[in-house]
Amino acid sequence: MSAIPLAPGPGPAAAVAPERAQARAARRWYRQPALLAGIVITGIIVILAVAAPLLTSYSPTAQNISQSLAGPGGQHLLGTDQLGRDTWTRLLFGLRLDLQIAFIAVLFPFCLGTILGSLAGYFGSWADTVIMRVVDIVVAFPFYVLIIALVFVLGPGERSIYIAITAVGWVSYARLVRGEILVAKRQDYVLAARASGLSSVRIMGRHLLPNVITQGIVYAMSDIVQDMLAIVTLGYFGLGVPPPTADLGSMINDGQNFLSTHWQLTTIPGLAVVAVGLGLSLIGDGLADLLRPGQS
Amino acid sequence: MTHRKSAAWSLIAVSGLVVLAACGGSGGGTVGGQSGAPVRGGNLVIARTADSQSMNATTVFDNESIWIFEQIMEPLYTVTPNGKGVMPWLATGYKVSPDKKTYTFTLRKGVKFSTGKPMTSADVKFSLDQARAASKGWGYIDTAIKSVSAPAPQTVVVHLKYPWAPLLADLSLFANGIVPARYGGQTENEFYQHPVGTGPFKWDYWHKGSALKLVRNPGYWQAGKPYLNSVTWTDVPSDNTRELQLKGGQAQVDEFPAWSTVASLKSTPNVVMHLFSSTRTDYLLLNELRKPLGDIHVRRAISLAINRPALIKAVLFGNGKPANSVFPPQVPYYQKATKGLQYNLAAAKQEMAKSSVPHGFSTTILIDSGNSDQRTVATIMQSELKPLGITLKIQQLDPNTVNDNQQSLKYNISLAYWTMDIPDPDELATFAVDPKSGARSFFTAYDNPTVVTDTHQAEKTLATSQRQQLYNQIQSLAAQDAFMGFLYYSPYAYAAAASVHGFYVTPLGNYHLENAWLSK
Amino acid sequence: MGRMAFVGRRLLQLIPVAVGVTIIVFFMVHLIPGDPARSILGIHATPAKVAELHREWGLDRPLISQYWLFLDRLGHGNLGQSLFYGGSASGLILSHLPATLWLIIYAAVLAVLISVPLAMIAASRKDAIRDHVVRAVPLVGLGMPPFWLGFLLIYGFAISLRLFPVSGYGAGVTGHLRSMFLPSLTVAIALAPVVIRSLRASMLTVLGADFITTARSKGVPGTRLFLRHVLRNAVIPAVTVLGINIGFLIGGTVIIENVFAIPGIGQLMINAIFQRDFPVVQGVTLVFGVLVVLVNLLADMAYAALDPRVRFSR
Repeated sequence: MSAIPLAPGPGPAAAVAPERAQARAARRWYRQPALLAGIVITGIIVILAVAAPLLTSYSPTAQNISQSLAGPGGQHLLGTDQLGRDTWTRLLFGLRLDLQIAFIAVLFPFCLGTILGSLAGYFGSWADTVIMRVVDIVVAFPFYVLIIALVFVLGPGERSIYIAITAVGWVSYARLVRGEILVAKRQDYVLAARASGLSSVRIMGRHLLPNVITQGIVYAMSDIVQDMLAIVTLGYFGLGVPPPTADLGSMINDGQNFLSTHWQLTTIPGLAVVAVGLGLSLIGDGLADLLRPGQS
Repeated sequence: MTHRKSAAWSLIAVSGLVVLAACGGSGGGTVGGQSGAPVRGGNLVIARTADSQSMNATTVFDNESIWIFEQIMEPLYTVTPNGKGVMPWLATGYKVSPDKKTYTFTLRKGVKFSTGKPMTSADVKFSLDQARAASKGWGYIDTAIKSVSAPAPQTVVVHLKYPWAPLLADLSLFANGIVPARYGGQTENEFYQHPVGTGPFKWDYWHKGSALKLVRNPGYWQAGKPYLNSVTWTDVPSDNTRELQLKGGQAQVDEFPAWSTVASLKSTPNVVMHLFSSTRTDYLLLNELRKPLGDIHVRRAISLAINRPALIKAVLFGNGKPANSVFPPQVPYYQKATKGLQYNLAAAKQEMAKSSVPHGFSTTILIDSGNSDQRTVATIMQSELKPLGITLKIQQLDPNTVNDNQQSLKYNISLAYWTMDIPDPDELATFAVDPKSGARSFFTAYDNPTVVTDTHQAEKTLATSQRQQLYNQIQSLAAQDAFMGFLYYSPYAYAAAASVHGFYVTPLGNYHLENAWLSK
Repeated sequence: MGRMAFVGRRLLQLIPVAVGVTIIVFFMVHLIPGDPARSILGIHATPAKVAELHREWGLDRPLISQYWLFLDRLGHGNLGQSLFYGGSASGLILSHLPATLWLIIYAAVLAVLISVPLAMIAASRKDAIRDHVVRAVPLVGLGMPPFWLGFLLIYGFAISLRLFPVSGYGAGVTGHLRSMFLPSLTVAIALAPVVIRSLRASMLTVLGADFITTARSKGVPGTRLFLRHVLRNAVIPAVTVLGINIGFLIGGTVIIENVFAIPGIGQLMINAIFQRDFPVVQGVTLVFGVLVVLVNLLADMAYAALDPRVRFSR
């Protein structure tokens, strides 16, 4: 998704001078506190999400209206919601679902954007013009307006989230990969491969893509954060996964009327989203430093 | 109308089911923190859920418009504070001919428009004729009227096509409010950009999407009123933001706080939590065109499986009553003794056993995506219908689409509500049980010939006891047929600053701000 | 390529983008199920009333001819009539535009005000603890749901501390500055990490440049060096990053305007989508699109004008 290119593609903003070689050599991933912290935070969250069924004895959807809005502690670690459902359980399962959707959702725009970006970059001429004009058009739409409108057209649900995020998100990858390809295709080894008569498909698949894909992967880290936000936002607006399935966005929404009396209902799911965002951003930032000597 | 939306898709200005309220309530500030004599002055800020749509009283259906132009344009009769009858307003009385087809009204003396021009029978005739002609608006309310004449400046005669019991109630509808003849020389469109009437307030400005302001009409016919210098309605779709504005002193009235906050607002210092009794009734719509909902046993089973007290606790936080009838208690001819189907799981299972699908079935419930109350109801229904073998899937769509699917009967089960527009059950009865009405029996395709005949007979029956009998039968049969699940009756919730006095909302939803005042 | 030619070419590119935006939005809003007539008539809609409104609005014609009519009107600078309010769509948009512009600019300014000192702290000693902290902590803002953050800010600053109004747009410049502070801050917190990142990077670059080394060796004090030379050269790339993220900024305003009850075009847009007020949706999208392209163009021009290579070689 295109919201914040944390690791901007080639273009004005990315043009930053190289840093000294010895400094680069000194940086190993374990020497980078940010990256390390990111891996730890994300690791804990992923473990919580994956092991969700083992970490609670409640069902995320089981109602018990006589137990509604119980405080934290006692039988319910984080209390219960309006319908007497266990908040801790819903938090775990909401996290599980939203993370899963976010990780899957990032794949589609990644693939589509990479393919279209390479086509535009490699072949140039009209393919480039057409693809990049479409990119311009998509970029000109405010992200949330487009997503919301698409979900309206498609109806809420997981499938719509994938389609909407793909429709909007591919442009960042296309821009990024196109730029990388433009640089890479002038490199000696590519020129040599061309001169030896290798087919375009082979050159792209064998030589170009492996070299440019790293940038895409780095960007995908920050993109997952944005996807996560989009999923939570849709859930908050009732446009996400239908109830009674637990989802962090709808939990924030359901809980916000109780802020003065049961602050945990809306604050904790929000913090979970923040933690996911922080963990992944730290990883993305750290990876960018490691993999891209051009940027510090 | 007006959904109690939680949070964000409160963005939705005009949402789903626009049912609404009618015209003026009245009477004194019977409510809330009245202390001492009224004080003049001040600007009352009402933070409301959505913007108005238009000031054209004859064609607009949304409450957020109606509640505003009711302060500007007034009808001949208005709804009594208890919502069950009408009282003289711009008219002082009437005489009816022996054949019950001609009503002669005497107009109140000394009533002037806010422009200073006196109101005469010519204005009344013009206004009623415009309202009747509004084919895409409220014209259908006035279909019994054959013609209106103005034989003398203070006399208006209404000729009917046939005797018509709800006439006075119909005339109390805001759409029959009085405007200057020929719109004071303007076109209809120009006029309603800044309408003129005889009401307590007159037009100031409307910044669409943010605020609308009315100022005091110094020449108002009720001497000494209104007390306020002005009233400003601000558009604050988010429940939280409205509540926070009230607490922060940016607004004095919070329209429809979330039910979950009612209890805490009650104990908030300097805030008075009003729960005005209303005509709002919430229903579970069952589309009889969709199998197996055409089966009376299935419908009865569903109705019997709804634990209404549990719904009221979870959705309304206890601020409501289980519904037993298609009519709400605040409407004339409501029958308290109607045996609505109340929670009884054993009986529900028996009904299912007698039905065409004894082992259950799977279906969907269509709800408005931004409405957290509907989400709660649907989630609870899901678990309540499980013991009957009914698997309920929740389908969330945006309000406009929900509305569309309901009206075109493209749904299985859904949620809707109604509030009365006029103090007479006729409008609701026709809407809810007549499959030939525009709404096709409240979008359910329910068709019980006895009920339909009774409904139309009640319109033309003037004797109260006979009408009561007819409406009793309608309510009983409708309940037995379980054509909808009657869920609950809920009040109108308004949280107000303790400095607000005389703010009262009738069961039909309208308020008379000439009685409101702010203490210093 | 000369600068005029560059600008001219970019402005020409605006046309296909604008046309593309209108095509997509036009057909998308008509694909959304639901009906503006039903939105207005509500529960009282009957097929006859709906049909009458459709005729009045021209919605009974084929989609292609409706689009053509839209383009034709657009050619005359007319966005059509709002179906919901009845007034002109462009008037409606113009009256909502100032609040959104305020929000965008205010947020951008706050983002810069937050980012500059932090980036300076980080860049002043690369890879020191403070560098790591400054780079890591603002990242919290990236993953923060704006509606959630906004709500907490309102609760903390407006309700508990009563420092700011709860919501709204305020009146007059001071009113706007006060009322719009929390919403702008919400947007700025999400933007700051990106700006800090790019500012820090460009500051490090500048610090490594020859003229700084020269200045240092001449004994120019650190603070002055930073303010006079480093900051001046580093801020522009940061502003460029802001420009590139204008789409995000505008997209974010849609949510923020709702949470803070700000009467901007984001809120207008969402309401219009819900009401199926086609002319308003089309108009706002067009305004958004043109805004994004123009700001991107400005950012590129600013960058081209201040190309570091040109400046550093001086």
